Amino acid sequence: MNWFKKESKKEDHSLFKVIQHFKKSGDFIDFHNPQSPVPYWISYFGSLIDAEILHRDILPFLNKSSIKKLDELKAALPIENVTVTSDLEVIQKLMLKGSLLIRFKEKDSQGVLVKAEMNKAREVTIPEEEFSVVGPKEAFVESLTTNLNLVRKRLPIPQLEIREFVIGTLSQTRVAVIYIAGIANEENINTALQRVGDIQFHQILDSSYIAQMISDNDNSPFPQLIDTERPDRAVGVLAEGSIVILVDGSPHALIGPTTLVKFFSALEDYFLNWQLASVLRIIRLFAVSFSILVTPIYVAVLNYHYELIPKDLMATLVSSRSFIPLPPFLEALVLELTIELLREAGARLPAKVGQTIGIVGGIVIGTASVEAGLTSNVLLIIVALAALASFTTPVYKMSNAIRLIRFPFLIFAELWGLVGIAIAFSFLMGHLLRLTSFGRPYLEPIYPPRLEDLKDAFVRLPFKMQPKRPIELQSPDTIKFSGKAAKQKKDIDE
Amino acid sequence: MKVSVKEQFLISPYLAFFVVHSMQIGVGVLGFQRYVAIYTEQDSWITVLVGGAAVHIVIWMMYKMLNKEQGDILSIHETTFGKWIGGIFTFLFMIYLMAMGITVLRTFIEVLQVWMFPLLSTWTFTLVYLIAVYYIIAGGFRSVVGVCFLGVVVPFYLIFTFLAPLEFANLRNLLPVWDHSIKEIALSFKTMTLSYLGFELLLVYYPFFKNPETSQKWFHYGNLFTVFLYLYLMFITLVYYTPDHLKRTIWATLAMWKIIRFPFVERFEYIGIASWAVVILPNVCLAFWAASRMAKRLFNVTQKKALLLILVITLIVNPLFKERTEIDLLNSIVSQVGLYFIYGYIPLLFFIHYLMSKVRKKV
Repeated sequence: MNWFKKESKKEDHSLFKVIQHFKKSGDFIDFHNPQSPVPYWISYFGSLIDAEILHRDILPFLNKSSIKKLDELKAALPIENVTVTSDLEVIQKLMLKGSLLIRFKEKDSQGVLVKAEMNKAREVTIPEEEFSVVGPKEAFVESLTTNLNLVRKRLPIPQLEIREFVIGTLSQTRVAVIYIAGIANEENINTALQRVGDIQFHQILDSSYIAQMISDNDNSPFPQLIDTERPDRAVGVLAEGSIVILVDGSPHALIGPTTLVKFFSALEDYFLNWQLASVLRIIRLFAVSFSILVTPIYVAVLNYHYELIPKDLMATLVSSRSFIPLPPFLEALVLELTIELLREAGARLPAKVGQTIGIVGGIVIGTASVEAGLTSNVLLIIVALAALASFTTPVYKMSNAIRLIRFPFLIFAELWGLVGIAIAFSFLMGHLLRLTSFGRPYLEPIYPPRLEDLKDAFVRLPFKMQPKRPIELQSPDTIKFSGKAAKQKKDIDE
Repeated sequence: MKVSVKEQFLISPYLAFFVVHSMQIGVGVLGFQRYVAIYTEQDSWITVLVGGAAVHIVIWMMYKMLNKEQGDILSIHETTFGKWIGGIFTFLFMIYLMAMGITVLRTFIEVLQVWMFPLLSTWTFTLVYLIAVYYIIAGGFRSVVGVCFLGVVVPFYLIFTFLAPLEFANLRNLLPVWDHSIKEIALSFKTMTLSYLGFELLLVYYPFFKNPETSQKWFHYGNLFTVFLYLYLMFITLVYYTPDHLKRTIWATLAMWKIIRFPFVERFEYIGIASWAVVILPNVCLAFWAASRMAKRLFNVTQKKALLLILVITLIVNPLFKERTEIDLLNSIVSQVGLYFIYGYIPLLFFIHYLMSKVRKKV
């Protein structure tokens, strides 16, 4: 039984061995003070702990104290998160999360762990992707604690529940699922908790990892969870009964279940008065359909159905296209790809260079290609407008999806003209009908048709007309507020 | 015999409105007027009304049977004729459903070939269209109904385009009212019925409604809306065309679109035909869904396999119809069968079923 002996021997010195192992890392500090009343060893990762806590609270205390027992030290230390343990796994885990280990003898198997982690987080800044002129200007940051604070301080109610998971065998990322008990649907909560809990992956770098792993159909170009960097948006949907998922290290919260139309509503819609907000939403939806359809229609009409165009308009088109060697499809494809190229280059380059590229690409290449007779200026206008229109979508991932589905439409338009566009539309329709978000229909309130939810879909009607929570979320508590006071009718001069 | 469908696959009763309406509106709308007007000329609108009313009675009969049975046509057949003979009838019904889908698709492709692309290859278009159909049906009945709903709502704007021909309307075309014999009305009634076909699929999807009894109201409304739509189109057609002109116009609805003109669009029928690809999508999807559902119930195979087989058969059969006359023949055969089915077979079944259920109760 040689191996057994070895094992038990190892057990005796294992804490010491762990520390020896840690010492291989340059940022690990194992520090001994023999001069204090009771000599002690203190070890920690210099890169993980907050030196101020160490210098201000712990070292002065240890240098003066004459406590010789770990338990007494635990009680006496002026810090709340103190553990006494000999469990190696706990010691390792806590030290790697930023705790100090205090021992009285170098080869002790027990130690006091003091939490002194460094919380170096970015300051809360202005939202950049979902900027709004009116309304709060706070955005989520990378630290989960800060983000949870941003949410909790907006919802100071006991029903706000936060369930935490640790996901990623290597990254050990904290993931928080947030919902309001009694408002969020039980089934939705269970779906979210189960899907997040079931994730098996080695590394979670961002909330979009989680989004890809828990969405209902990961073969769809359409995002099935909204990601937002605005705490006010997250809180707004929490109050309606949605579930929000926050991931440590990611400044984007995930919102689900959600529907297609919600991707086209900006938070600002709720800050402006309802007429303006409704008009803006309609413009946005128009922009999206314009962005998807306009180039395919151009290709379809010029390829097959030039009879559709009245002769005055046809003259303009013909004169702009008369010297173009490429067929409409190739012409459109080249221009669309150029725009994508510009966008991609602009996104990858540093901000200052990116601007220059934008100008070079947009103005110089555009003008030059028209003058060289490679593209018609009508198409240039159309493609540029379509690209512009695709950026009106408030959620970035949705605008990506929209740019992507333009290409199948283009190909179908080349194949069968307008009928091809209708076929592509049928595919899109079938796909959207089949999509779900946390098991809830994605195309709601269009299908299944729900008039009540249409009040806050393509238009946004005044708040007092929406006393109920959206049906789509199946909230057990359907009433947002009592609409009685708002509904009082007044006669003239009363 | 009760057919139970899992709760999560059920649809709300009010969607019956869209399911029945979308199935009735198909390729026929593009040119139904001529076939009716051949017999009754300016009185064709009366035929539209009479035809619609008769359909309501058949719908009532179907609901009576289904409510008692709480199942579909297969369970009705089983109670009425027993397992084997009933099975044969169900099989024939399945073939009819399949033929219906094939007819709609082939006729639409013919419209495309006549009006837009004379050289369009039938089988490539069928293939692509069927892929879309498969994708939708694979999403289950809910997504098929979704297509029915969107197939009504999305092309709804087309209704307003038919107002444009009114600029050239001649209301005197409608006079004199009731100038045709009952016999002539009966003849045109027969052709008008073909335009109302499609509601008989209720016999398959009835168990998919939540509280199916309550869907009857919506089903009748759906049919009523179809009647209204046909009436609307018939009126406009009658005042726009002279009777002689109408008799020579095969696709009256399509030809009416030609008159529409915007500063940026002419020849509106191209847009109309393209939109019709979305309008007939529910027809094809629902027909094939119903056929595969019947196959599943009948032969105990998975619906996916049955559907694939049906689609492959469609893909093979569709290009076999090449000439106008062949397609016309297909159309008239399928619609004749449909006609006898709803006015002959369903009333017959209704009475036998009524008697048999009385007899069984006593036993």
